[in-house]
Amino acid sequence: MNPPVLSIRNLSVSNRRTKQPSAVVQQISFNLNPGEVLAVVGESGCGKTKTAEAIMGLLPRDGWSVQADAIELDGSDLAKLPESGLRRVRGRKISMIFQEPLTALDPVFTAGNQLASIFRRHRGKTRSEAYQCSMEMLSKVGFADTRNVLKSYPHQLSGGMRQRVMIAMAMACRPRVLIADEPTTALDVTTQAQVLDQLTRLGQEYGTSILLITHDPGVVAQYCDRALVMLEGRIVEDANVRDLFARPQHDYTRRLLASVAGVGSG
Amino acid sequence: MTSPVLPLLSVRDLVVRYPARGHSGIPMTAVRGVSLEIAPAGIFGLVGESGSGKSSLAHAILHLSPPAGGEVLFRGQDLAAMKPSQLKAARRNIQLVFQDSLASLSPRRSVLQTLLEPLDHFRIGNPATRAEKAAMALETVGLDPALRHRYPQELSGGQKQRVALARALVAEPDLIIADEPLSSLDVSVQSRIIELILELREKLGVAFLFVSHDLSAVQRLADTVGVMYLGKMVESADTDTLFERPAHPYTRSLMAAVPVADPSHPRPAVLAGEPPSPLTPPSGCVFHMRCGDKIPICSTVVPNETFVCGETGMCEDSRRFKTISHRVRCHLWNVTKT
Repeated sequence: MNPPVLSIRNLSVSNRRTKQPSAVVQQISFNLNPGEVLAVVGESGCGKTKTAEAIMGLLPRDGWSVQADAIELDGSDLAKLPESGLRRVRGRKISMIFQEPLTALDPVFTAGNQLASIFRRHRGKTRSEAYQCSMEMLSKVGFADTRNVLKSYPHQLSGGMRQRVMIAMAMACRPRVLIADEPTTALDVTTQAQVLDQLTRLGQEYGTSILLITHDPGVVAQYCDRALVMLEGRIVEDANVRDLFARPQHDYTRRLLASVAGVGSG
Repeated sequence: MTSPVLPLLSVRDLVVRYPARGHSGIPMTAVRGVSLEIAPAGIFGLVGESGSGKSSLAHAILHLSPPAGGEVLFRGQDLAAMKPSQLKAARRNIQLVFQDSLASLSPRRSVLQTLLEPLDHFRIGNPATRAEKAAMALETVGLDPALRHRYPQELSGGQKQRVALARALVAEPDLIIADEPLSSLDVSVQSRIIELILELREKLGVAFLFVSHDLSAVQRLADTVGVMYLGKMVESADTDTLFERPAHPYTRSLMAAVPVADPSHPRPAVLAGEPPSPLTPPSGCVFHMRCGDKIPICSTVVPNETFVCGETGMCEDSRRFKTISHRVRCHLWNVTKT
């Protein structure tokens, strides 16, 4: 088996601002394998978003303490990189999309402007090349009228369109790893199906491994290969999705899966 | 229409239009002639994508945004014809619960103060008994009365939504309009709120208009379901019929889009395209541009409402009030029926 793309060893995250430092992520370890879609499931407050932010190095150092034996991306340890080194890696080798694309996109620049800036910054393209690449990228995420989308400001796009623009931006550099933090929680079911379909398809085409954070067991079952179940900052179960649903080992996993009564599945 | 039980709420051909904004100069019609009925202690589930007009409809029922056409009858009385004092009394009987409980609860008021407000406003009981009523409402929604001195920001999402329900309940309404009350909550918390709503209906006989984009929640809760698309009610039926035999292609694609918590189940089908803008609605059937089953007539003629089966009327079985009528707005049903 190929070595993992992302390997996390003993990651802990704690809040420095509370009276006693409280650990929201406690000593977790996991691997993300090449081409894999790995789900991180759990309820709000279980530490799944903080895990993602710690991997990306997005937690402000004065508020949060991040400790890890290793956060290895393709063999190089992100935990040991200075901020400047991280900035070269983020967006190029590892990128992230968020639950609410409206807050993640800059309201004063057009979608085209924001997308093209990635090609110019990370891939050294000229203005017109970057524009061409942006159009291609938008058609890859399912837009027919790419010219119009390029000219639009975020508020002129619907929630689903915004999230697809975010995917186009995150995948622009064909990263090794994409972290998607509840990317469809704010969307309607039909839009969710569109977005997740495009996301996983593009991941396959580019060989990008995806860490998909979700609280929806349906999303885990249908779009992911393996899943980590998190409870109170710890990983309580790490299993292949088929096994997880057929034979949940942990009591909490059983309760989590039982909490959904799927449409049409009885 | 002859109903053995007088509906609690009946909405007929309701139209909601918002004035033109910006330089487009076109007023936006959010709801285009929607009718629905809710029986006493009934739960009506209203589903549809964002922008389909569900919330506009819910708000127009309370005349929070005045309807541009149609009528809203509460216990047979037209809300539009009511004097302000009568409208105030009617509003005591119809309470609202909003999607975002943090935004709808005042951060400066403790839980107790929040619950006392409707009691003071409607002059229910006397000041001495009001605190008692508030404490009882907390117990009804399954919260420890000791939480009454807390502020919203000190509560969890599920607790806040329970407070919002308690605030609606203290006025002892007959109908609660709940506008996406689950969408900001975790799956397991959603499940507990659903159980609570069913319990409230059972114990207190409160009816609900439950607005949601979550089909599985609606399936668990509602007796009757209406599906909205671009301001039209495209299909309505009792819950079992709708989920077992969905008739409208849009309802079917909505159901097919829900991911099933079973890895051996095929992936959700993708419904292509985006919903059209309500500013420039398509000609003919509102759904024809995304419909996989369309026939030529769909793009030119607006389909009428067709009865798929059953008759209008209400019946009461052991547990549920049921409307035995399955209606759909789709040309395919006119073709296959005749």
